Amino acid sequence: MAVTTAEPLPRLPLPGPLARGLTQLKSLGFGMLFLWPSILLFSVFVFYPLIKSIYLGFYESDPLGNQGDLVGFDQYRSVLGGSDFRHSLWITFQFTMYTVVPGIVLGLGLAMLANQKLPAISIFRTIFASTVATSVAVASMMWLTLLNPTTGLVTWILDQFGQPRLNLLNDPDWALPAVALTTIWLNLGLATIVFLAGLQSIPERLYESARIDGAGRIGTFWHVTLPMLSPTMLFVTVVGTILAFESFGQIHILTRGGPLDATNVIVYSIYQDAFQRFDYGVASVKAVGLFFLVLGLTAAQLRFLERRVFYQ
Amino acid sequence: MSRVVFDRITKHFGEVVAVDDLSLEVYDQEFLVLLGPSGCGKSTALRIVAGLEDATRGTIIIGDRVVNNIEAKNRDIAMVFQDYALYPHMSVHDNMAFSMRMRHVPREERHRRVLEAARTLGLDTLLRRKPAELSGGQRQRVALGRAIVRQPSVFLMDEPLSNLDAKLRVQTRRELIKLHRRLQTTFIYVTHDQVEAMTMGERIAILKDGALQQVDHPQNVYERPANVFVASFIGSPAMNFFHAELQSRGDGLLACGDGLEVPLSAAQSQALAKLPTPSVTIGIRPEHISLGDAAAKTDQCVLAAVVDTVESLGSEQQVTFSNGESTIQARLDPSPTLREGEKVLLMFPRERLHFFDPETGLRIEDR
Repeated sequence: MAVTTAEPLPRLPLPGPLARGLTQLKSLGFGMLFLWPSILLFSVFVFYPLIKSIYLGFYESDPLGNQGDLVGFDQYRSVLGGSDFRHSLWITFQFTMYTVVPGIVLGLGLAMLANQKLPAISIFRTIFASTVATSVAVASMMWLTLLNPTTGLVTWILDQFGQPRLNLLNDPDWALPAVALTTIWLNLGLATIVFLAGLQSIPERLYESARIDGAGRIGTFWHVTLPMLSPTMLFVTVVGTILAFESFGQIHILTRGGPLDATNVIVYSIYQDAFQRFDYGVASVKAVGLFFLVLGLTAAQLRFLERRVFYQ
Repeated sequence: MSRVVFDRITKHFGEVVAVDDLSLEVYDQEFLVLLGPSGCGKSTALRIVAGLEDATRGTIIIGDRVVNNIEAKNRDIAMVFQDYALYPHMSVHDNMAFSMRMRHVPREERHRRVLEAARTLGLDTLLRRKPAELSGGQRQRVALGRAIVRQPSVFLMDEPLSNLDAKLRVQTRRELIKLHRRLQTTFIYVTHDQVEAMTMGERIAILKDGALQQVDHPQNVYERPANVFVASFIGSPAMNFFHAELQSRGDGLLACGDGLEVPLSAAQSQALAKLPTPSVTIGIRPEHISLGDAAAKTDQCVLAAVVDTVESLGSEQQVTFSNGESTIQARLDPSPTLREGEKVLLMFPRERLHFFDPETGLRIEDR
């Protein structure tokens, strides 16, 4: 009907190679128009420092912090293979274990509580998520007070049970768990928000179906909730690991890497090398090492964990 | 015995009454369709049987047990959801086996029952796939299979065909009828689609605003709708209604109004004489209207009308007429082809008329 009566469409000229190239160039230019702000920002704050760090790693520093002799890969070999870096790596690894796993468990627990259909539940959601809006400095000061060996809450609790007082932040065995506790608390809000979002995206029908199928609370959690949360779980694991590797503020305020280097994670040792010892060469080598470590770890997590992840 | 009894079931959601004093018995091995427009409470009624909602008042009986306080998993029912609610992270096999796994059915038995159901549903080559790798029709079969392997005494289906395309829907409709015949269990099937209800239901229960309007065999629902709502809901296009005043003429009654003048039969006159006021709502189905001429027989009702729109379906034409105040829909033979604006005489047999009380909307039996 309409086909026979409609005006024939005007025929467009076929694009030649030149016209095609021009069109591509145009769309590239158009794309760059959108990209340049982030390219500029990344260049100034990421790409330039990264290249500069790799470059600085090839030079020794004199005691005043000036660029010294070119030593090439020797410095990389000696620093990354040295006992100092290995110790920091081990501390960082422990710190990651202490923060990521409990962070996931607690975050999921809080998210499940906050996901209940109760009146005024949004008040609880806000409280659970509030650590997102807390700065590292504020959180650290808060925990410094709570962990204070004479006036802190922990001391008070120990006193109630007649236990000897503990100076957690000055005890080489307890300092790292104490800093980890602060970090868990600090990152809990983010984990809770992300898990809550994940929980809310699970269709109610699946739970109803599981109810009819005879799955109890535990069965439903195990066979429906957890598998459906796997992408969220991957995200929280990767982000939590990166956050753990990058932790600095709480360590700086609570322990300054001590006691006896018990909390001297890689980032903090970089800070000490660069801004206390003014050894920019060593600090740069460690920074580059940390960069590739986090990159590799994240790639490995995405690769191995993603196999177990179900995306809808 | 797997009858289902709704005994004065009422369900409130806050201020909203979703199901209003519903009493209905679904017989053992029956295929009963709950039909109604969206929001009429049919899905809620089904979910009360499933144990996914608690009734505010009333008793629900499955078999011989009052199940109000029995958990969904122990009600011996299976449910097929509109969006199938398959577990997206499980294979077809695991989806079907899940309920048995939760009931600790031995692995071999689980596998055997899944294979058996998969074979009858033509799913045996798809058992390793995830739901996302299936077409809509295949997913629907998995949802059915998941229900079948449980060997429940009652199947509950909540608009299971509404996500399928038209062709597949017709095909699956037939398969469900066969499945019901083979399984010989009670089916309660919720739909808003009257064609599904008419073709599949052994009985249809029609709901509106949570209240039961009529429950009867499909043909009876069509031929003797209990009220104006049922009359307008069943049949496509919907029944035409006229408002008419009753006048005495000779020994019978004459119904006049909306350009219509109907001399009523003795039986009709007698039935309508019982009305409190001399007015009546007259209904006539579009398929019972034909084109007439001036020399029509006296027991035919005749109405002058102008053609408004013509929709040709090939096998028939659906024509909308207007006669001043009201519009009339008719399903007519494809020839003669009508043109818009054409003046015609419409004719319909007196015995095809339906009469309703204009106050209550209830049907007036004239036979």
